[in-house]
Amino acid sequence: MPSKGQKPSMGGVFLNGIFTENPTFRLVLGVCPTLAVTTSAINGVGMGLAATFVLLGSNLVISMLRKFIPDKVRIPAFVVVICTFVTMVQMLMQAFLPSLYASLGLFIPLIVVNCIILARAEAFASKHTVLASAMDGIGMGLGFTLALILLGSVREIVGNGTLFGLDILGAGFEPMLLLVLAPGAFITFGLLLGIINAIGNRGKTNKAAKGGARA
Amino acid sequence: MKKLSFRGGIHPLAKRHEGKAETSGKPIRDFVAECVCIPMDMHMGPPCKPCVQQGEHVKLGQVIGEAVGRFGIPAHASVSGVVTAVGPVQQLRAQPSLCVTIRNDFKDELAALEALGDVESAPKHRIIPAIQAAGICGMGGAGFPTHAKLRLPEGKAVDTIILNGAECETFLTCDHRLMLESPGRIVDGLRAVMRAMGVARGVIAIEDNKPDAIESMRRAAQGRDGVEVAVLKTKYPQGGEKQLVTAVTGREVPGGGLPMDARAVVINVGTAAAIADTVIEGKPLISRVTTVTGAVKDPSNLRLRVGTAFADAIKSAGGYREAPGKIFAGGSMTGTCAPDDSVSATKGTNGIVTLTEREADAAREIQCIRCGRCVMICPARIMPYRLMELYERGELNTAKQEHVKDCIQCGSCSYVCPSKRRLLPSIKSAIEQLARRRNR
Amino acid sequence: MTLPLSTGPHILGKRTTRGIMLDVLIALTPAAAAGVYLFGVRAAWVLGVAVASAVATEALWQRLSHRPLQVGDLSAVVTGLLLGLNLPSSAPLWLAAVGSAFAIVVVKQLFGGIGHNFLNPALAARAVLLTSWPARMTTFFLPERTLLPVASTAMVGDAVTSATPLVKSGTAMIDLFWGNIPGTIGEVCKAAILIGFIYLLVRNVIGPHIPVLFVGTVALMTWLLGGDPLTAILSGGVLLGAVFMATDYVTNPMLIVSQCLFAALCGVIVVVIRQSAGGYPEGVTYAILLMNVLTPLLDKLFKRRAYGEVKQRA
Repeated sequence: MPSKGQKPSMGGVFLNGIFTENPTFRLVLGVCPTLAVTTSAINGVGMGLAATFVLLGSNLVISMLRKFIPDKVRIPAFVVVICTFVTMVQMLMQAFLPSLYASLGLFIPLIVVNCIILARAEAFASKHTVLASAMDGIGMGLGFTLALILLGSVREIVGNGTLFGLDILGAGFEPMLLLVLAPGAFITFGLLLGIINAIGNRGKTNKAAKGGARA
Repeated sequence: MKKLSFRGGIHPLAKRHEGKAETSGKPIRDFVAECVCIPMDMHMGPPCKPCVQQGEHVKLGQVIGEAVGRFGIPAHASVSGVVTAVGPVQQLRAQPSLCVTIRNDFKDELAALEALGDVESAPKHRIIPAIQAAGICGMGGAGFPTHAKLRLPEGKAVDTIILNGAECETFLTCDHRLMLESPGRIVDGLRAVMRAMGVARGVIAIEDNKPDAIESMRRAAQGRDGVEVAVLKTKYPQGGEKQLVTAVTGREVPGGGLPMDARAVVINVGTAAAIADTVIEGKPLISRVTTVTGAVKDPSNLRLRVGTAFADAIKSAGGYREAPGKIFAGGSMTGTCAPDDSVSATKGTNGIVTLTEREADAAREIQCIRCGRCVMICPARIMPYRLMELYERGELNTAKQEHVKDCIQCGSCSYVCPSKRRLLPSIKSAIEQLARRRNR
Repeated sequence: MTLPLSTGPHILGKRTTRGIMLDVLIALTPAAAAGVYLFGVRAAWVLGVAVASAVATEALWQRLSHRPLQVGDLSAVVTGLLLGLNLPSSAPLWLAAVGSAFAIVVVKQLFGGIGHNFLNPALAARAVLLTSWPARMTTFFLPERTLLPVASTAMVGDAVTSATPLVKSGTAMIDLFWGNIPGTIGEVCKAAILIGFIYLLVRNVIGPHIPVLFVGTVALMTWLLGGDPLTAILSGGVLLGAVFMATDYVTNPMLIVSQCLFAALCGVIVVVIRQSAGGYPEGVTYAILLMNVLTPLLDKLFKRRAYGEVKQRA
């Protein structure tokens, strides 16, 4: 994250959330919904976009109000803002995407306690301009979405033989059921975390790769 | 008869009779070298101060190094002849030791100390000072000054003197031969110590793989006040001080304590014989029995003058059978490596063992497979595998809490490890680093 | 002359990790041979592919991660063979290959290789296969031939049983003992497993306490709950698990007392899983895996008194 003193470039802030500080693979935040909903790629898209919407909205509003929120009550204030947007998402999805809403279930209202959102509010939006906060919200949200799609795709392909519901591996393939079950989420997440950290740290050091694989 | 023992332990080189078969039948033979190089730091504690000059003529048994400090002991000339050098020479320690080199004139003019006479009638209060003056230190290897062991601090009491004839170390048979050939002297030494300390019970403890020595000592102990022979199970490290105390008395030496904290004193049989020589004849400690074995042509038990070079001793044992890959002083479990064969045998050198290059080849170390063998056999009942792990991670304080300092450094863990992990070296380093940290 | 300096001991014991693994392989041979005899060549193929895949994946992993090649320690062979013995002879070969690869890469190597896995690799892989391809893992061929002596209940033929209950009621003890029943390749012939057990004891690779307590607890618990203890022991993978998997050095505790607790708890969990109508016909795999996870805790919980340790005043 760019330090407070220098003015962050908008593109930098945007890319930061997708790569250098990817909330899932680098910061390892919001793991609970990540593991729970990524049984398919489409679930990943839905969850990711819902979170992105909330992130964008809460970052915007909190950044606008950052001068007015007293420091002592900032967390409750952030939570109220976040709740507002989560409720909006929930209602919108229920109305327009009922099937996706049904499959994501409880995890939509649980976006309230997703630590990515509160973390960005606390660490970024409350200290930066409205525009930068919006870029950060979109970047972080898309980073989260991409991670969920990646995880969901791997699990869906290997665990079900399909991608976005399309049969891509043919009838001869016997899907590995484990991957769409809970333990499969942990195993896939651990492996992807390891691989991505290994690639990210190539040339630097191997230590993080090992640590990542162990997570 | 019940065989005494301790918990844990191993049977090293069980298929080779602990490497003892080659020498256990070899009578002790005298060997006098042409030249001796006597280190001033043969005992534990501050080294002696040389009191002879180059070119000076010395008699056999003359003091050449003065005792330093309250617990210090003197060093004596082990041959008569001319001092050819006084200076540092590389010995078994990491740094060169200050040494006095004497060229033997083979006249053996003796400068004896005052003899106290028969051990049963010698004045009690003069025995311990005589032991100090004779330069006697533990001959089992560590070289702790014997008089310091016998002089108890205020408030400590001892009820048993244990003579260590276990000789659990591999390859060594010098104590075995001594028990066969001079059992009387050993019992005399024990009696002298018992009288000097006012202790009523003296136990000579021998492993059951030496039935002839048990028999010989039993006969010698007959009719002597309070002296008995105890039979120990053959197991390494049965002769470890703490293990011996537990086997014989059933008491444990408290952590960080000495045998006297369990009301016992342990003395090597060789030391006892040296004490008898001093009390009866006034002879200082100038020679000892050393087992020279391994890859030599004629493995032997030699009575070596203190300061004899390893090379001379090995030559007397027929010379190398094969180019040596490793030479160490002591048995294969705890012996100290010699950088070459020019180093001197000292008061504590109970064995000179050479290995061929093939035997000395270090096995490749792999990861711990948690087989638990080291845990099972550890006589100190600590967790070697865990301590090595902690040492490698630098967690010395945790290692300290897990009793790393209670390690008796017997090496059993390294011996049994199927992954050939360097357990003992790691634990030793951990102890050293902890000690250094405390001194800082 | 300059000689190497080192700390003692200067001569080490003859026993090596490779030797221990070899002993385990020898001990597994009777069970493997009995499986191949009973289930035919098909079983040999499954075992062979499982072993080959384990060795190949380990070699490949070590090559790719620039680590020293350690296939020579034979631990991968043991893992592969154990997994193979835990598969039904009906298993497709790719199932064996995938299982071994998972055991080696995910369970063993990712956690640091030999000695660092917190689960028994073969069992963890079996659990993964069981969850991923439940039908494949619970389709059993009947033995092609029988081992003597045979009771009239012996089941032979090319018929396929699917998702069997543990034992068909009425099966004679003697058929359970010799392995004239459907089951995984290695678990059916109890006689062969016992030969392996005795070999391991004689070679001092394992002590008797873990298998005996494990099996004893299963018998006791079954008896207390009103079942037949002998059938409970002789059916399913209790013996194979108790002798070869619960005794895995890496994944059981270090002290004898904690090992005993480990084994007894394994037995308890087996019976609990078998008795509860959870839909799992067999609990040995999960019992041992659960206890594997508890092992670090048991290691922490039980400390022994060091020599000369004095109780410190609180």
